[in-house]
Amino acid sequence: MRVSTFFSAALAVLAKEIKDAWRDKRTLRMVVLLSVIQAPLVLLLVSTLVSEREQRLERRELYVQGIEHSPGMANFLARQSYTLRTPPPDALAQLASGSFDEAVLVIEADFDAKLQAQQSPTLEIIANSSSRRSSTAREQARSLVQAYVQERLSLGLALRGVGLGSLQAIMLQERDVASAGSRSAQLTGAMIPLYVLIAVLIGAMGPAMDSTAGERERGCLEPLMMNPVSPWALALGKWAAVSLVAIATATLTLCSFIPAQWLLHSEALQALFQFGWREALLCLGICLPFAAAVAALMMASSVRGKTLKEAQAGNSLVQLTMMLLPLVSLLHDAAEPAWYYAVPSLAQHTLMLRVLKGQALEPQHWLLPAGICLLFTLAALAYLSRALRAKAIA
Amino acid sequence: MIQIEQLSKRFAVQRTGASGWRWPRAPKMWVQAVQDISLRAENGSITGLLGANGAGKTTTLRMLAGLMQPDSGRLLIDGHDVLRQRSAALAQLGMLSDARGLYPRLTARENIVYFARLHGLSDSQAQARADLLADLLDLRPLLGRATEGFSQGERVKTALARALVHDPANIVLDEPTNGLDVQATRALRETLRYLRSPAGGSKCIIFSSHIMQEVERLCDQVLVIAQGRIVASGSVPELLQSTGQPDFEDAFVQLAFASAAPPAIDSGRTQPAATQPGALQPYTYVGSADPGLVEPAVSRSGEAPCA
Repeated sequence: MRVSTFFSAALAVLAKEIKDAWRDKRTLRMVVLLSVIQAPLVLLLVSTLVSEREQRLERRELYVQGIEHSPGMANFLARQSYTLRTPPPDALAQLASGSFDEAVLVIEADFDAKLQAQQSPTLEIIANSSSRRSSTAREQARSLVQAYVQERLSLGLALRGVGLGSLQAIMLQERDVASAGSRSAQLTGAMIPLYVLIAVLIGAMGPAMDSTAGERERGCLEPLMMNPVSPWALALGKWAAVSLVAIATATLTLCSFIPAQWLLHSEALQALFQFGWREALLCLGICLPFAAAVAALMMASSVRGKTLKEAQAGNSLVQLTMMLLPLVSLLHDAAEPAWYYAVPSLAQHTLMLRVLKGQALEPQHWLLPAGICLLFTLAALAYLSRALRAKAIA
Repeated sequence: MIQIEQLSKRFAVQRTGASGWRWPRAPKMWVQAVQDISLRAENGSITGLLGANGAGKTTTLRMLAGLMQPDSGRLLIDGHDVLRQRSAALAQLGMLSDARGLYPRLTARENIVYFARLHGLSDSQAQARADLLADLLDLRPLLGRATEGFSQGERVKTALARALVHDPANIVLDEPTNGLDVQATRALRETLRYLRSPAGGSKCIIFSSHIMQEVERLCDQVLVIAQGRIVASGSVPELLQSTGQPDFEDAFVQLAFASAAPPAIDSGRTQPAATQPGALQPYTYVGSADPGLVEPAVSRSGEAPCA
């Protein structure tokens, strides 16, 4: 078969597969919806959680039971500009049931008397650790109590003529060497690489199954294989179409993160979330070989299935493996080991993290992952081209 | 012209336990699907393959279309060996397989044009052929419709147009009238007669069916296949004459089932079924050279069923 005939056949297959995938509106809608709305949704969720916490801290409210037993504490809290609130009578039950998600500081009746007599009175903070808001309020109450204890201690020693300087024998100074990008990557790195990889997997799965097992199920593969076309040309055309859909899905997901930043309510988060067109383009470049490999692997797995249902079982394994591999990076918090770059999915996750941290991408960082993906692609395509003819008969 | 020479094919059958599990180490069972089939179909004639379900018709045609590798034998399409010159051979063949396999989201025109493009036609040539075939097969109103929801007749017409889009000299139709109503069957019959005629290109047509009436009305030559072997061949009057039956169905039953033996199953070590006592001897049919009933070929005793 001449080269031009080979490529014109592959192009005809590609055009048909793209047209076919484009007309599968139900699947297309679902994929586009998932890839476009997942970023805004997650960012909105994170933003809501963080801004809620910030508002909680800004409100400066504290639920105290028995504040009348400690005028000193009341004075301290008033100086901290805290508004004191009385908890409901059945606060304990409400806290346990989750209908009241605050923390309550309980001051016993003889608190001040014991404090004067240096008998270490007890203060109790009642909270529900299963509630995030209640836990935040507990931390707030705890730091206030610690500050009050520190103040009383300092004043007591000062009255006895002890210099305040001797109370702080050590000066503790912290220096954060993390770059702005690294700090930003704590937020962006936790979501963007994983979501982009998931987008590639979701985007590839439908067309990969439809163009192989779907054609077997519908009996389309048999007439197709009776054409005088090289099985490699057929495999190449189908693979190119599936790869393009996967790349388009990843592009949509990456692009959706940029306007999604406008949804961030928290100023702190806005400062932290550094993701622009440059990062999006680099992440897309990193994903290209991965999308190619995933498309080929999923098609090779799908072609073994006589029906879409059978193909789905095989593809779920590919999908799950590719989604779980990046979690290996949780084992190493600092510099990543070199073998990360030899594992598809984990390598792309690591590379995208480097981009988001603002670290340089050296050729050795992207050449190995791209090469490995290329090997996977070729092996899967070789299998696919053989299997297309062997499995053509339903 | 299509030539098939001493074609054989057997399949391994996996043993399955009562629970439905397959035992990978269990010895394989073999079913001889096609055995020593030879035929020659000339241009400008319709050759019918008549056989009961499971007789081996579809397996033979699938091997002809390059979808299966035969165990032994040769398949030639206009002199091109299907096994060695696959592309050149398939370029001369238009096959309507049992699986019509239309793409449901594409229109009838797109289905036809897609296959034309795979045969190397330019877009304008493909569109022109689609229009021509639409007129020939009365497809015009369907061309712009997605094939999802097509009736069986509409599906067959579209699939036939797709098979003929590159104007092949050889046409193979596997059970084309399955599911068609009387009107559609008659229309298909007329189309095939036209394609056989010099005006239609004097195509070489192989028509496989298990429906006696279809074969009787359409085919110039008939090959009766039973249990993977050609058990009789000739024109319809010749077959009637040889069996002494006035009715073609009775003649077919007599030829195909008279000395029916169970399908040849062995474990790969036994003699071929043809050599078993009581088994039918294979016939060799050579189309135009000898259109009449032929003598049983020499028994191939001792020859392994698979090369």
